[in-house]
Amino acid sequence: MGEKIIQLKGITKQFPGVLANDNIDLDIESGEIHAIIGENGAGKSTLMKILYGLNEPTSGEILFKGKPIKINNPTKAIELGIGMVHQHFMLVPSFTVAENIVLGIEPRKNKVFMDFKKAVDITEELSETYGLKVDPHLKVESVSVGIQQRIEILKALYKGADILILDEPTAVLTPQETEELFKVIRRLVEELGKTVIIITHKLQEVLSLSDRVSVMRQGKMIGTIDTKDANEQMLAEMMVGKEVLFDELEKKPISNKEILRVENIKTRDNRGLPALKGIDFNIKSGEVLGVAGVEGNGQSELVELLTGLREMEGGSLYINGEKVEPKSPKHMRDLGIAHVPEDRLSTGLSAEATITENMMMGLQYKEEYAKKKIHLDKEKIRNRTKKLIEDFDVRTPSQDVHLGNLSGGNMQKVVIAREFAFNTPILIISQPTRGVDIGAIEFIHSQIIEKRNEGCAILLVSAELDEIFRLSDRIITVYEGEITGEFKNGEITKSEIGLYMTGKHKSNVGRGV
Amino acid sequence: MKRSLFKDNLKYLTSVFLSIVAALIIGALIMVANGRSPGVGYMALLNGAFGSKYNLANTFAKTVPLILTGLATAISFESGIFNIGGEGQLYLGAFAAAYIGFTFPSLPKGVGIILAILFAAAIGGLYALIPAILKIKYKIDEVITTIMLNSVAVLLTDYLVNYPFAGTGQGKMGATEMIADKYQFTRLVRLSTLNTSIFFMLGISIVMYYIMKKTSWGYDFKMTGQNERFAKYGGVKTKKQMIIAMVISGALCGIAGAFEVLGIHYRFLQNISPGYAFDGMLVAMIVKNSPLGILIMSIFFGGLKTGSISMENATSIPSELVLVIQSIIILFLAGETGFKKKIKEMMLKRKKSEKAVKDSAKSAF
Amino acid sequence: MLSQLFNLTLIQHTIRTATPLVLAALGGLLTEHAGILNIGMEGMILLGSFFGIVGSYFFSSSLMGVLLAVVAGIIIGIIYGFFVVELGSDEFIIGIAINIFASGLTVFLLRSIFGVKGAFSSPDIVPLPKLSFPGLDNIPILNVIFNNHSIFVYISWILVALIYIYLYKTPKGIWLRASGEYPEALETVGVSSKKMKYTSSIACGVLCSFAGAHLSLGYLTLFTENMSADRGFIAVAAIIFGGANPIKTFAAAMMFGFFDALGIRMQVMGVPSQFTQMIPYVVTIIALVIVTKNHMNKIKKGKEKEEGAY
Repeated sequence: MGEKIIQLKGITKQFPGVLANDNIDLDIESGEIHAIIGENGAGKSTLMKILYGLNEPTSGEILFKGKPIKINNPTKAIELGIGMVHQHFMLVPSFTVAENIVLGIEPRKNKVFMDFKKAVDITEELSETYGLKVDPHLKVESVSVGIQQRIEILKALYKGADILILDEPTAVLTPQETEELFKVIRRLVEELGKTVIIITHKLQEVLSLSDRVSVMRQGKMIGTIDTKDANEQMLAEMMVGKEVLFDELEKKPISNKEILRVENIKTRDNRGLPALKGIDFNIKSGEVLGVAGVEGNGQSELVELLTGLREMEGGSLYINGEKVEPKSPKHMRDLGIAHVPEDRLSTGLSAEATITENMMMGLQYKEEYAKKKIHLDKEKIRNRTKKLIEDFDVRTPSQDVHLGNLSGGNMQKVVIAREFAFNTPILIISQPTRGVDIGAIEFIHSQIIEKRNEGCAILLVSAELDEIFRLSDRIITVYEGEITGEFKNGEITKSEIGLYMTGKHKSNVGRGV
Repeated sequence: MKRSLFKDNLKYLTSVFLSIVAALIIGALIMVANGRSPGVGYMALLNGAFGSKYNLANTFAKTVPLILTGLATAISFESGIFNIGGEGQLYLGAFAAAYIGFTFPSLPKGVGIILAILFAAAIGGLYALIPAILKIKYKIDEVITTIMLNSVAVLLTDYLVNYPFAGTGQGKMGATEMIADKYQFTRLVRLSTLNTSIFFMLGISIVMYYIMKKTSWGYDFKMTGQNERFAKYGGVKTKKQMIIAMVISGALCGIAGAFEVLGIHYRFLQNISPGYAFDGMLVAMIVKNSPLGILIMSIFFGGLKTGSISMENATSIPSELVLVIQSIIILFLAGETGFKKKIKEMMLKRKKSEKAVKDSAKSAF
Repeated sequence: MLSQLFNLTLIQHTIRTATPLVLAALGGLLTEHAGILNIGMEGMILLGSFFGIVGSYFFSSSLMGVLLAVVAGIIIGIIYGFFVVELGSDEFIIGIAINIFASGLTVFLLRSIFGVKGAFSSPDIVPLPKLSFPGLDNIPILNVIFNNHSIFVYISWILVALIYIYLYKTPKGIWLRASGEYPEALETVGVSSKKMKYTSSIACGVLCSFAGAHLSLGYLTLFTENMSADRGFIAVAAIIFGGANPIKTFAAAMMFGFFDALGIRMQVMGVPSQFTQMIPYVVTIIALVIVTKNHMNKIKKGKEKEEGAY
């Protein structure tokens, strides 16, 4: 390992209402692969954006090769040889690969004109040097995400990056692509002397790839250790803090009454590609069925299909034994489905509306709260909201606060309060605790189990395996729109289930339950 | 309990007030630059708007189209579908009402009037249906289509009034025949244009207020506008809701046109509206689509309009100054959130530099 | 009668009426590429017309007229940019406000500077020069097409080429397009997308002022209230119809200019011209429908292909 090329000292970043980075110290050594890990919202991306000049720190300083320096825009970062591959790719879709790679520092003819031929040559040369194959003439909109990531890396290298920051690079990649990427990263470091900072929340990746690892939690730097001294258990504890001991949840026995059943259901994603390729499962009254899988393997589409937000393109759906054609969210709600969506701000709430207005969604069609389903009984609605705020422990000064002013955990409680209060026989719950603090997680989990014990049939989709294992009675694994395994909780360990989630193992239990 | 809502509104009201004051100050500066006294000018304006029964009547008469087109804007904008085509819908509605008025002169009075208003509403609503369907079906930006359809409607009525339905009497250029006498709304104050349409308008406003604020529909409109996906997820038929909002919006503009014909001109004229729908849109935008706000702001705008004429007569300050003032108010308000952000950023920066100065002072010791 | 309608002078009139549309549309397509649909062009043209007259009248120079118009164009471009780019206000609201502002201000100034209502004309206003290429007078068709036009006609043609080259052949133009399509992509490579958007909105102001000056100083030397007469909106139509490509937009503006010229002649002959005047708007809406329909079909077809695959 070489000299300390970058030193962050006491970096603090205050956003309105959020302390994203709290007095962070971090050293990056030349020629290392340095992983930064932490849960969602730990402040990793913010820290890297500061290093790349996209965010200005509220206080603290950055030393480059020992000298204090100000990086107030990306140009400065590029000058210093820092390159960044963002989680959301920064490529112009209608431009060609070559145009994207040279964007900002284009080769010129006669000083004013863009030299397209040279751009292509440059791209081919880079592609050759770094072993990242791309076709310079293709438009970016027509290439796969894996290729787009290569373009991003080449783009940074073209700009002379010696230090490459990769923000969650594997989130969108298949296991094979991930392997490819890691090979490239190792080559960049070992053969070409680059330094790589990789942000991730996947522990295995950290252990297999990095030289050193820094762990962040809730805006703070917990510590940096050599990867060879680390193991998964240890990193996990650093990430989430001291082992949180959740109380054992008391679960009643499941009844035998089947509430929801799907057979061979199919649908497509937003790009029109098959997302569910025919899956079957059922859920009984008082049962939680957990869906485990790497994100983007059809879970979102499954939830949307069951709640009427996405068209069903084949297969059958039965509720209480009766065949149902999902028409619209309203239709599915009328049939007794409530839905906690994966993204509360885009789907589950209106940030501009007050808590009352958010909590009353659905009541406007109920005679009890709207005479003749037209005239709203505002007083009744307000009183109900007030009670729900108390029951679900939403921390707010008033029910007239605009929702956008609440914390993530409280927003989530608003969604859960509203959906749970419908007292439906079926609950579809997706990522119930994403970006929620630990106290709220415990509360939400106990609410879910309470619903289960009342006899509700619950489908739970979560990217957090711990959550799946804690709450589910049965678990199915999905991979590329198919069910790869089905297990009773307790029959399988977390590491075993990982193999089913990545498609390496497959059992036939998914079909024809 | 309602405190924070009130506080939010109060903050915004302060912004509105400050914008108006700032615009009036700019207006005053323009007057000074023209060698006229702003005091005299504004007094004349105030007097011309509210100073006598006659002036007051004219001010209120001006509120009729403003409030109707303002409410039309409010319901469409609130629902997340932007009807910029009010002017065209107003022209078509006006022509439709006139058509009933001069083609069927022998209907019973009430029937004729109601028929004229309903026909105007239907035509305005149907015309607004075109961009609504294009948006829902093909996702074509309704702002662009409604702007285009404005010009089409104005040209179409221009053709109708000059060719197939050109009037025969005196001043036949660009006007239709007069509508039957009995359909003409009664003037409420002698010589002013205030007429009974103001009662119709008030009735419509109350209905609109009720729909927007007290009903499931109003709630559905609002949620569709704020977050369409959330509304859909919650069970709202968002597409239907947007189409309904657009049709209501068009119908209101059509009615505004009908009242211009039935209450003021008694026939269709080729330039019947000097941009009422745009004024109404500004009114609605200033008060963020609040029905009550539209009422108040329309009186203010109506006052500016009538007052400006008196100001011109008394001080020879051109009445168009009012247009300048109006557009400056809207510029300030449209920039409101941006201004606030900028000011905050600037204050943060200043704090930081202050802190830096302090820090360096510390280290010096 | 048809030969009265369709003859060589119609071509001349088309060029003349299309030129302000071309100029404004070129400006508007720059902001469109930067991600801003500018519906304030109507007002920007109007300001250009007015200040063109003011400059030409008081300095007895058409160049001063143009200069003053350009200054007004730059200022209004900065104001537009300030609100839309800097403050992030809604581009449509600001556009409408600018239209109302321009129509109020020009009428107000018309009366307070010149003391007239409705229209102002004076022999002291110097018109823009007209150009002719001596060699062409003998060839009737070329003479009509290329000779004896006001200077902005030629400028507009040159600008079509220049703007095309700028947008597609220079790094700056590429940045401008990137700033509209994906500003963050541009920011992260160290180019300010704000700056590109500002540039486009000022350029739009200037090009609209050219359009305005051509209207008021090109042939008639006259200012009338609201003399931009929807040209800003027709320019928007041309941009949309031409897909913001300078050459296609130029063609669209010429086509719309043709119908405008045709309409004016029909009017003179007592034939209703409203329907020809409607053409730009109707055609644009139809074009939008066709374009999106094709796009949707493409997606559908893609779907079917995919279906076969699995």
